[in-house]
This record gives sequence, C-alpha cells and structure tokens, in this order.
Amino acid sequence: MNPHPDLTSSVIHGLGWYYLIVFFMNLYWTVRSYKVDGEFASGVPVVGGLPVAAVWACISSVLLMISVAHFTGTGSPDTFMIRLPEFFKNPVDAFFADPVVYFLGSVSLFVFMVVFREWWVKDSVAWSLLQASLIFMGLSMSDYDFRQIVGKPDNVPIVAMLFIVAFLTWIYFRRATDNDRRVAEGRPLFEQEDNEKVLVWPDLVYTELICMILLTALLIFWGIGLEAPLEEPASSVKTPNPSKAPWYFLGLQEMLVYFDPWLAGVVLPGIILGGLMAVPYIDFNKAGNGYYCFKDRWFAVSTFLFGFFPLWIALIVLGTFLRGPNWNFYGIYELWDVHKVKAANNVNLSEYVWSLFGGVPTGSDILTILKRECVGIVLVLGYFFVLPPLLGLTILRRFFVRMGVLRFLVFSNLILWMAVLPIKMVLRWSFSLKYIVGIPEWFFNI
Amino acid sequence: MSDKKLSTEDILAQIRGGGAPTPASDAAEDSPAPAPVEEAAPEAPATASAPAPAASGPAPTSTTDIMAAIRGGGGGAAAGAPPAAAAAAAAAPAASGPAPSGTANILASIRGGGAGAPAAAPAAAAAKPKAAAPVDTAKAAGMSAAEMIKAARAGVARSNPETGAPEQPPKKVVLPAKPLKKKAGASDRREFLAGAIGVLLSPVVWAWGSLVAATTASGLAMARFMMPNVLVEPPTKFKIGPPTDYGAGTVSTKWKAQFGVWIVNDEIDGQQMIYALSTVCTHLGCTPNWLEGEQKFKCPCHGSGFYKTGINFEGPAPRPLERHGISLAADGMLEVDKSVKFQRELGQWDIAASFVPV
Repeated sequence: MNPHPDLTSSVIHGLGWYYLIVFFMNLYWTVRSYKVDGEFASGVPVVGGLPVAAVWACISSVLLMISVAHFTGTGSPDTFMIRLPEFFKNPVDAFFADPVVYFLGSVSLFVFMVVFREWWVKDSVAWSLLQASLIFMGLSMSDYDFRQIVGKPDNVPIVAMLFIVAFLTWIYFRRATDNDRRVAEGRPLFEQEDNEKVLVWPDLVYTELICMILLTALLIFWGIGLEAPLEEPASSVKTPNPSKAPWYFLGLQEMLVYFDPWLAGVVLPGIILGGLMAVPYIDFNKAGNGYYCFKDRWFAVSTFLFGFFPLWIALIVLGTFLRGPNWNFYGIYELWDVHKVKAANNVNLSEYVWSLFGGVPTGSDILTILKRECVGIVLVLGYFFVLPPLLGLTILRRFFVRMGVLRFLVFSNLILWMAVLPIKMVLRWSFSLKYIVGIPEWFFNI
Repeated sequence: MSDKKLSTEDILAQIRGGGAPTPASDAAEDSPAPAPVEEAAPEAPATASAPAPAASGPAPTSTTDIMAAIRGGGGGAAAGAPPAAAAAAAAAPAASGPAPSGTANILASIRGGGAGAPAAAPAAAAAKPKAAAPVDTAKAAGMSAAEMIKAARAGVARSNPETGAPEQPPKKVVLPAKPLKKKAGASDRREFLAGAIGVLLSPVVWAWGSLVAATTASGLAMARFMMPNVLVEPPTKFKIGPPTDYGAGTVSTKWKAQFGVWIVNDEIDGQQMIYALSTVCTHLGCTPNWLEGEQKFKCPCHGSGFYKTGINFEGPAPRPLERHGISLAADGMLEVDKSVKFQRELGQWDIAASFVPV
C-alpha cells in the first residue's frame, strides 16, 4: 500500500464536486455568451463567425462528464484515469524548483500583463484564463505532494489570495484600458459618465453592514472547517523544518536569504514604508486623479506593480509553495525530501577578487579589512552616489528636470533600493555571490 | 430645478444656500449698493472667461468664501466708485461693503443667513456686508482652487490703488496684556509663600504627583525582575563524559537539547581535536540540524549551511558557528564552559581553551 497515494476515494469524490461547480459556472457562461455574443460571434477570424456559445456548451458538457466520472470512479482510485501524467509534472517541477527560471518567469508574466492588457481584460479571455487556472488546480489536486502543500490550513488563504489579487488586477486593468480608450477617442471618462455616488445613510452603511455580516460568517465557518495550524510547544533548541514566517512576511523572509539581517529586516522594510509615504511628494504627475487610467500614469503604475507582483506576491508564493525543508527549492509536485542535496557554496565578492591576486589578505585590523573589501565598498558607494547623478543626466533626464535636485535624489535612491533586491537575488543564483561587502567582524554585510 | 435626482453636491449647495435667492437676483433686488454694482453683478456670470468672481451676493456662506472675504477685506468701500466697480467686474472679488474681517463678524454674518446685516457688529450693520461669493462664480467658470486664491489676492492688490478708497485695515488680534509682575519685595514674601503653598497643595499637582510616584514605583518594581533571586537555567559549566565517548570524525548531538552544544571530534590542520560548537545559527539565531548524510549543519530558517568544522559555506550566514570553551577536567572528564565563546573570524579558534587535543 502506497503511503502517499496520489488519489484516494475521498479525493476523487471531492474532485467530483469541484468539477460539478466548475460545470455550473460554465453553464452560466454559456447562457451569458449566447445572450451577449449571439449565435455566431462576429469579429472572430473564422468564416461565418465563431459559434462561441456552442464552444462553451461543449466545454461545459465535458466538465459535466468529468464530474460524473469522478463520482462513479470512487471505488477504484488506483486505476482512475483522470490524473496528471508524469511527463507534465516533471517539466513543471523543473520550472518551479529553479529560482532563476521562476523569477524570470514571474517578471515576464508581469511584462506580458502590462503589455497585453487590452487583450486579457476582455470578458471571454479573462473568463477562459480563470477556467484554465481552475482546471489546472483540479488536475493538480490529483497529485499527493501538491495536495499536501496547497491543502495545508496555513496555505489555503494564499491560494484564495492568488485568485483575489488576479481579480482585483483584472478590475483595475479593465477600467484603466476602458478610460484610456475613452481619452483617446475624446469621450468623457467612465467615472464622469457613470456617477456611482450614493448617500452614506442609508445606502452605503447598509451595504457595509451586509458585507460585514457575510465576512464574519465566512470567517466563522472557515475557523470551524479548517483547524488552526498549531504545532508542538516551542523549544529554543528545536526549530521546525522548514521554519516559515507568517505568509505576509514570506517576501521579507526570502530577502533574508540574500541579505544580512539588519539590512533585510530593518533597513529594507523601513525604506519600503518610508518610500511609500514619500510617493506623494515625489510624484509630479497630476493626471490620473480620481479615475482609473494606465497611459496617463504608466511609469508610476508599472513601478508600483513591479514592486507588488514580482517582488512581493511572487515571493510570497515562492516562500509558501516552493520553499521546503532546509529552505531548499521544491517543485509543486515534488516530495519534500529532507535529504534533498542542493550543492551551494556561496562566496563573498572579496574572495572572488582576491583569488585573482593571490589570496585574501588575512588579519583583523581595520586597514586589512578595508583593503580586503575595497572593491565591494567602491561598488556600493558608486551604486548609491555615482549612479543617481548619472541617471539624472541620461535616461532619467526628464524626471531630473521636473523634480529638481533633492526630489530627484530621493526618487532615484528609492528606485535603486528597489533594484537592489532582484540584483542581489540574481547574483546569488547565478554566481553564488554571498556578500558584496562582507565584514563579519563588524557585523556589517551588504 | 429639474426633476432629475439630486446629486450630493446639489444637496450640499441647497443646504448652504439656506433657501437664499441666487447671488444675481439678490444683488438686483435688495442691494443698497450703488448702481454700478448692480450692473456689474448680472454681468459677472456672463463673463465666464474672465477670472472674475462676482462683485456682489449674499454674505459669505462657506469657509472658502470667508477666507476670500478676509483676504479681500481691504477692498473696503470699493463699490462706492464706478471705476472700482469696473475693476470688480474684471478681477476683484469681495469688492463691495466692508467684508467681515473678524471671527465675530463672520459668525454674525453666517447667523444672519446671508439675508440681513450682522446684528452684532454695528460697524458692519451700517453697510451691509456685501462680500461677494466669488467662489461660486469661480466654480461656474471652472477655476481651480489655486486660481481662485490668486484671483482673490490680485483683487486686493488691484482694487486699492484704483479706488483710492479709505482702506479699512484688517483687525489686528490684540493679545490681552500680561498683568505686570510686581517685584517681590521683602514685604511680599509672605504673600508669595502663601501662594506657592496654595499651588503645591492644589488638586492638579496632587494628581500628577501621585501619578508620577506610582509610575516610578512600578517601574522600579519591574526593574527588580531583571535581577531574579534564583535563576533556573542549566549551568554554564558541565561535564560531558570522557573523550573516548566521542569517536574520531563524529558529531555528537546528544547535548543539543539540554545544553545547546554539538561535540565534534574532527581533524583540523593535521591535529585531531574535540570542540564544542554552539547550536545558534550566526544568521538569525535559529537552531540548525546536523545532517549526517551530507556531513553539514543546515539551518531550516534561511538555508545557511556549515561544515563539520562550523565554517559557513552556503546560505546567508555571515560567519562561522561559535565555539564554546572546552577542557579536560582533573577527573579525566571533558568539561564544557558555555560562558565563554570563541569566534573564528576574530582568530580565537587558536586559543587553547577552545579545543581539547586527542
């Protein structure tokens, strides 16, 4: 008997219900598509138009059949056919277990999201993406290791968060592209045309009350349904393996892998908070006040979203689903093997440099230490003091002219601090670089 | 008013207006101001392109109006002169009548509801406060707040030289003069003492004094907890058995849970030695695990890895694990002293107390 079966009777039964729900969602969409698109959708490069509603009807019926197959196949889980094949799992594992590929993938997804915003916010495209992700989730649930990670009570909110973040992003981009189009065509903005103002009493207060009650009910049933993830009593000599921060701090915990504690735990969070507070004083763009838009504020929006998606959400996902025992990377279908060996030998920049000149100078007096780390110190100082004026005179000249010296220095330093994170991560992954300046004698490492 | 559903702004405007007639009709009907103003008032809405607030209207009803009226207050009796009225139509806000300049006047004019003269201010009662509602007109002309303020300021600057009218200086806030201090002569000493005692015995002083005293006492009591009478901690010096318990090349984890040390028997630079490594990761203080298969200490928090010697080689840990003191006691037992530590980056691993040769 396999102790880690991919499928059990109860899992198949649950998946039957899951696909039934997805079927009903698509049934609704079929009806909606028939009403909105008509029998044959025009504007599709198919002769005579594409029968969109008919396609959705086919998808719905397939989903219904899958659901019925699950309900009838609970008796023999070992021979049940609907499961992920290994030839799919292995490449996906290789993708997720490699941090470089994962991080570059998340960055390219971000670029794709911004560039093709006009395309993916369309109703049918967005709905197709949602259905694809739901079916991917359902199929992946047939894998034991995926189920262990995603089904952990700790991690359920993160899965929910992914869908909520996707939904809110969709709302933003949908309304922003709509307004951009309106501006381009000279029509009034959506916010001016469709005034959503209501009276606080009673309209808004009642809405809020109902939301509050529903949310409280949801939390209560959640608390009953999923047990609180309690662990054994704490001990100073026994650390859980892996030991994970609360989900909202997983981005910071990931940063702690690449930076010294005082930098990742104190300086960087401080700069994030201070920088967000400074944004209104830095921003000179008066457009975009009170309405959704992208084109009017493309720089601000893209910068914020870069910090939010690849540098925060993607790192939370990384920390939640991909970091396993001993803080190694694991694919989403990979067993959390405590003895997985990942060769890593991190080296300081000084060791790289001095290996070219016959060995690292030894000694713990001040001059020797400064001599040892001189290259890193020069690089760091250059990054923070030489680069801002250079940027201001070259590619960010427009900003420099509009902002003036002081504002531009604050702005460029914030941008540079944000860039520090991916730079250091990529350096670690590709060159096993530990610290650019490493002075453990003074507890000073960058 | 059409039968269209009222927006919030409309409702607010109605409330502020208090049922008062619109500025233009108000000026035409019951304005005691001279004729030029009457001319100018209906004109003002028409000249939408000019950044001109209307020269007449009801008393200031919103905060912005009041601010504008105060700024324009220097305009004084500008309305009296025809050129002034022209100027008012062009650029000047709040041109007619002494604008309410003090808080009392403003309040009074608000109470007056924009219809009558403020009763409380006789000076203002003589000439009806015809401070215009420049902001409303400005809003109609689509001006921004900054433009309105600019226009108001320009009005002050321009109307005065042109009218030559006697300018009412804005009321200065007069601070109540401080009572002159008497010099405490010898004869006043008794009086002073009595006063001082009275102050010291006042309830406020008593209340704050007791609060300070109570807080200080509880703070001291808290500080006392930092120095407990009995410290329930494992001893910093303990014996761990004879060196023969620790075979060559092994890492013993048996004292990890109790004392937080690993006992390692290893060969370093050609010398076989036993040393005690601290189980605290040098990155953030988690407890790493000894992985026998990979022959390394691995931290579960951020993935720092250390060789058997305690030297860091992977992950973010910036420096090697620390050694504790270890020595051979007189009875042939190894004795670990956790009260001292030896750091490799400071060159302390060469000190004899940091290892026992075997």
